[in-house]
Amino acid sequence: MNVLALDFPPVSHLFQWPAIWFEGTPYAVNKTALIYLGATIVTMLIFALAGRKHETLVPAGVQHVAESGIQFIEESVVMQTIGSEGKKYVPFLTTMFFFILFSNITEVIPFLQFPANSRMAMPITLALLVWVIYNVLGVKAQGLGGYLKNSLFPPGVPKALYLIVTPIELVSTFVVRPFSLAIRLWANMVAGHLLLVTFAILSATMFEAGGLGWVGAIGLSWPMLILMTGFEILVSFLQAFIFTILTAVYIGGSIHPEH
Amino acid sequence: MTRRIRQFAAVAVIAGAVVVVQAAPALASETIGSCAFEKLTEAGHEFGSVDALIEVLEQEDHHEELVKFEDDLESCIEAPSPIIPEVNEIIWGGSAFLVLLFFMVTKGFPAVRGAMDERADKIRDDLDAADQAKSEAVQIKSDHAAELAGAKAEGAALIDEARSQADRLKADLSTRAESDIAEMRERAAADIEAGRVQALADLRAEVSQIAVGAAERVVRANLDAEAQRSLVDAYIDEVASTNG
Repeated sequence: MNVLALDFPPVSHLFQWPAIWFEGTPYAVNKTALIYLGATIVTMLIFALAGRKHETLVPAGVQHVAESGIQFIEESVVMQTIGSEGKKYVPFLTTMFFFILFSNITEVIPFLQFPANSRMAMPITLALLVWVIYNVLGVKAQGLGGYLKNSLFPPGVPKALYLIVTPIELVSTFVVRPFSLAIRLWANMVAGHLLLVTFAILSATMFEAGGLGWVGAIGLSWPMLILMTGFEILVSFLQAFIFTILTAVYIGGSIHPEH
Repeated sequence: MTRRIRQFAAVAVIAGAVVVVQAAPALASETIGSCAFEKLTEAGHEFGSVDALIEVLEQEDHHEELVKFEDDLESCIEAPSPIIPEVNEIIWGGSAFLVLLFFMVTKGFPAVRGAMDERADKIRDDLDAADQAKSEAVQIKSDHAAELAGAKAEGAALIDEARSQADRLKADLSTRAESDIAEMRERAAADIEAGRVQALADLRAEVSQIAVGAAERVVRANLDAEAQRSLVDAYIDEVASTNG
């Protein structure tokens, strides 16, 4: 695709990766699948190393990463949204946070340079898993009738407003939530990847052009590429955090209808 | 590093290497031009050469092959919707997540949490022990201060007692010395007085004897002995009263 003298690849080619093994089968392995496996292995390694016996009193290295992660999820996510009874969900939420984070952060890792969550597969899978979990927990905590009543007819709302609120809550809680959760993560990673690719191609083309192109590359596109790389590291963390905290909010809302 | 962790590390390195190496073919087909070239080359190989391919496709009875080739070329610009999830990615990603979740719930999380709790307990115990030691030290210090104050007070009392005893002793000794002196003085005075009286009596007797002897010689037989003694005594008394 030629845009203003830039040979820009079609958008789908930036996200669609060919199969490496088992091509044409439902379990074909491509770069996205390998990144998911890599995110799993890295998380397992961190927690396996961190869980060993340590003689030092002050945590360092991977131990610090794992403990900070747990503490962060517990204090900044669970305690803020569910409360102390939500501590039993910390392992699940920690797993989700690290899995999403390491699937996102590959966006800025040299040679990998692709966020696996810019593919819809895992965002929608995780979002549907969250949808099942918070609905099951809601029914378990309040009973089916109570859960539906509290979800569709939020307490404290004037009865006349139920005409408007109930359809909105029905669509919002039971239909839109998983998709909004998935699309937020997916779209952010797609946009981030496109930004990085755009500035990378722009820099490469301008460097190749020489002369004024060098000036433009060094003065604009290349600094922007560095800036956007830093920004995307932030986005990777932020999106993992947002997905996790929204999951906790949904769980908290389903087991505490008064909130 | 345990064997299991080494195995994990090896798998991670291999997986990373595979991702890096396999990135190349995907990058190679990133442009529409390269995709079209690839399709043309594939079809050319199928028919022997690109010229042979064009020759075949231009024939009217090969309409189906033409449509297929056009579809192949169009697939270079038509990609599946990026919002539709791929089944293979769901399978691999979902199973990877489930494996990770199982590991985290059964091993990873409890191990790290246990280490955190253990450390927190140790720090709490150490702080409690330090507090305990501190309060004990404060107690010992106050005990020592109290003992020191008691010892000081006892010392001061002993000194006062000794001083008052010394004062009493001094007063007793002084009193006794004074009384002894007075007694000795009285005794001396009495002795002196007795001596004086004795001396006076002796003197009187002697003088009387001498005088009697002398007078006897002078007025032998004129006076009897009794009259002479009375005369002499009267004389001596007179002398004594004048000297006394």
